Amino acid sequence: MNLKLIFGVAAIIGFTSLLMYNFGESISTYTNFEDAAEMNSAHVAGVWDDTQDYGFSMENKLFTFYMKDEEGETRRVVYPKPKPNNFEQADRLVVIGEMRGETFYASDMLMKCPSKYNDADPSKFVNASES
Amino acid sequence: MLGLIGKVLITLSFLSATASLFLYYQGAKNDDDSKLKIGNWLFGLKGLFLTAASAVLVYLLFTHQFQYYYVFNYTSLDLQAKYLWSAFYGGQEGSFMLWILFSWLFGFGLMRWTRAPYKAPVLFFLALTQVFLLSMILGWDLGFLKLGASPFRTIAEEMPNAPFIQANPDFIPNDGTGLNDLLKSPWMMIHPPILFVGFSMMTIPYCFAMAALWKRKYNEWVGPALPWTLSANVSLLTAIFLGGYWAYVTLSFGGFWAWDPVENASLVPWLIGTAGIHTMIIQRKSSVAQKSSILFAILAYVAIVYETFLTRSGILADASVHSFVDLGLYNQLLAFMLVITGVGLGMFFWRYKELPSQEKESQILSREFMTFTGAIMLLILGLVIILGTSSPIIGLLFNDNPTPPEISFYNQWSMPIAMIMAVLTVIGQYLFWKKYNWESLSSALVYPLLVTSACTILTMIVGEVRDPYYVLYIFTAFFAVVGNAWVMIRLIIQKPKLIGGSVTHVGFGVLLIGILISSAYNKPMIDQTTAAYNERVKNGEVKDEMGFTITEPVTMLNLELKEPKIVNGKYVVTYVGYDLVNQNRPGQQTYKVLFEPIDGGKPFYMYPELYPMLATSTQDNVQWSVDPDVRTGLISDIYLYVAGSSYVKQRNDIIARRANINTTATPEGEVPETQTIRFSKGETVVVGGFEMQFIDYAMEDTTALPPNTNIGVRAQVKLAHLASDQQYMLEPLFALYNEDGDTYVFAPEVELPNHDITFSFTKVYPESGEIDLTITGLDEEYQDEWILIVAEEKPLISVVWLGTFLLMIGFSVSILRHWDRERKKNKD
Repeated sequence: MNLKLIFGVAAIIGFTSLLMYNFGESISTYTNFEDAAEMNSAHVAGVWDDTQDYGFSMENKLFTFYMKDEEGETRRVVYPKPKPNNFEQADRLVVIGEMRGETFYASDMLMKCPSKYNDADPSKFVNASES
Repeated sequence: MLGLIGKVLITLSFLSATASLFLYYQGAKNDDDSKLKIGNWLFGLKGLFLTAASAVLVYLLFTHQFQYYYVFNYTSLDLQAKYLWSAFYGGQEGSFMLWILFSWLFGFGLMRWTRAPYKAPVLFFLALTQVFLLSMILGWDLGFLKLGASPFRTIAEEMPNAPFIQANPDFIPNDGTGLNDLLKSPWMMIHPPILFVGFSMMTIPYCFAMAALWKRKYNEWVGPALPWTLSANVSLLTAIFLGGYWAYVTLSFGGFWAWDPVENASLVPWLIGTAGIHTMIIQRKSSVAQKSSILFAILAYVAIVYETFLTRSGILADASVHSFVDLGLYNQLLAFMLVITGVGLGMFFWRYKELPSQEKESQILSREFMTFTGAIMLLILGLVIILGTSSPIIGLLFNDNPTPPEISFYNQWSMPIAMIMAVLTVIGQYLFWKKYNWESLSSALVYPLLVTSACTILTMIVGEVRDPYYVLYIFTAFFAVVGNAWVMIRLIIQKPKLIGGSVTHVGFGVLLIGILISSAYNKPMIDQTTAAYNERVKNGEVKDEMGFTITEPVTMLNLELKEPKIVNGKYVVTYVGYDLVNQNRPGQQTYKVLFEPIDGGKPFYMYPELYPMLATSTQDNVQWSVDPDVRTGLISDIYLYVAGSSYVKQRNDIIARRANINTTATPEGEVPETQTIRFSKGETVVVGGFEMQFIDYAMEDTTALPPNTNIGVRAQVKLAHLASDQQYMLEPLFALYNEDGDTYVFAPEVELPNHDITFSFTKVYPESGEIDLTITGLDEEYQDEWILIVAEEKPLISVVWLGTFLLMIGFSVSILRHWDRERKKNKD
């Protein structure tokens, strides 16, 4: 009985630590463009700089825009997918990718919209590729 | 006025709910039937008040009383009746009302069918949850404390500091902001109500478990609780399915599941509820697992409240950047969660010592052990998902500003858990109906294992599944299908009423197969050039203009009008044109894309749509939204949406040009192109995507023209827009008039609808009968008509739905069986 208990407790602790370790690995921290230069896959949060040109280029199939991060730094961002549906509406963007020189190459983009789409969940992140 | 009535009704509803809570408490404590009866009356009264309040809200919505914030925020004058109706639960406040109303209705079921000693305490706990839910929509301002957000608050109450309110406190907007276009969908009418049916039914096992703890009767409650739990389960499953289907076919989420917090919010209670069903079933059969049945019943509802807290309190939002329309319910939701959890777990641990426990350990090869382990697996999966969804809170352990986990976190953990579950279902089902030892079980499983292996090998060959991990997963999934089907077939012959469980488990296996194949073997549809380009990207051979290696393959397909392309070596795909449709959504384009299978199958069309989002678009800023088209097939779906088109680009250019003219005093360079074309009668000219034919001209009656006009001629020009097949008839005027002895030409511009091109009739050549037509805004170069589409082949989505339906059918069969038994008991 005691052995079983010890075994059970050990299993639970083992499982929990593995889970928490993996969880810790799979989350990241929001950062800015400057720090993103040193990271492989960075989540940069910011807002769209609508004073500069943006748009999808048919030639190289890239959506390009400028984003201002939370430190106020603006960088060009390229995103290899069509412009997401409610891009202009989003009041916050999160781009996931890496800095190459002065350009941020996003592999993924999340948009947070002032959600009338689903008021029950005002915080909903809409994945750019999903919308 | 009506708003005040609404507020009063909600207040009365809240007060009677509180009163019924006290009476139920006394009724339960002293087994006092008279108190219970009064409690029931108050319970009924509460619902009537709330129904009346809902009726007022619906009336306000239908009569467009925009002075109320809720009406203003979710509806507009042009909204169809069915969506005015769904706007009732389109916002937080209304959805709380709907939730309480359903819960109230089920309360009558509990009054009618629950036996003593559970009746009074069950109703007490139901009333408790309703008091909390009602407090969310009270809208009381007690000075030191604000309680709830009323659906009846006015715009002035909502935004007291807005300038237009300061200027005129009685300001009533002419129109509301309208329901989001994405919510104008038939799915919106059924998905939320079914979800709230599930939420309110899942309250009932919690109430029963708490009643069992209160009354120290730990065994009998599972009988009546089972059909309720099963029903809650089916409702949640149906809601999850509808949500997934909606996301897939109209919201262009690209799939049926995205591990989104809102989706998780309905999945986790379902998983824990299902775990509860498992332990309740073995408790009923063998009088074991009383502790875990009670615990799971409590946790399933706690999960609902916790996920409600997460999704509605705004805690998932990053507070530093964001200020959403916060209803200020954070503290109330937190209190609700803490009380439900505290009372639930507190009672559980208080009674823990006296809860019956098993004298003898179950053997590993027993139905009790297997079923219990299955339930634990369901719980673990639920906890993993809760952990992921709670990343804004729990992630703080790792860094100050945590992001949500990568999707792979969910996939990595759910896959092995699902594999263990798949194996357990078979062994559990075998043991459920018959005793086995290791030897006899192994020999009983020989044939199912052979069939499973055959299916797996077949899948590897046909579906080109090579990844060993996937092969193992597919094997366990097929094992669940085949093994449970084996049990099911035997049951159909012997006791067909009892097949619920085995059908459910077959469905689970089918679902597992569908989920893996449809998500792992999802293929973008691209042409040969793009495929070759992607191959070079894969080998790291492509550099961009800055000299960096491009790593992302192109998954889009560009189609020129009427220029076929070979896609994925399977189809010849042609963009045939588009139609402008103005019926449901003004400004909508329906594109026509023709697919011709190369192997000689039947050609078919797909009709993806693009439309301006009315709720958020303005004159100078049109936001385009997509409505994908899905072609459902048994083997594979084709999912397709238009990501861009020449039409949309032209519209955007026009809007940008207009904005430029408005803002800059001297428009630079951006002068629209003007060209003059000389036509002879009957001649057809093709310019810039239009076919123009000059049919004839006719003299205009000069009396209808300005004074001093000598002559007026009107030309008839037929225009056909090649891409959209739209026909236009234009009749521009050419006139000559005298002023101060000079002759002037009067040639007013005629605008072509939808295209921002103007025509004027500028010259007549009387000798040849030819005319000059001056066209402004039409690019001289022929603008190619093109669309950019994103298309994917998604294999075996149909199998996902099949698995879901089997789960629903299996659970429903079980509801009938358990309900039937309870009804007989009630009669005795």
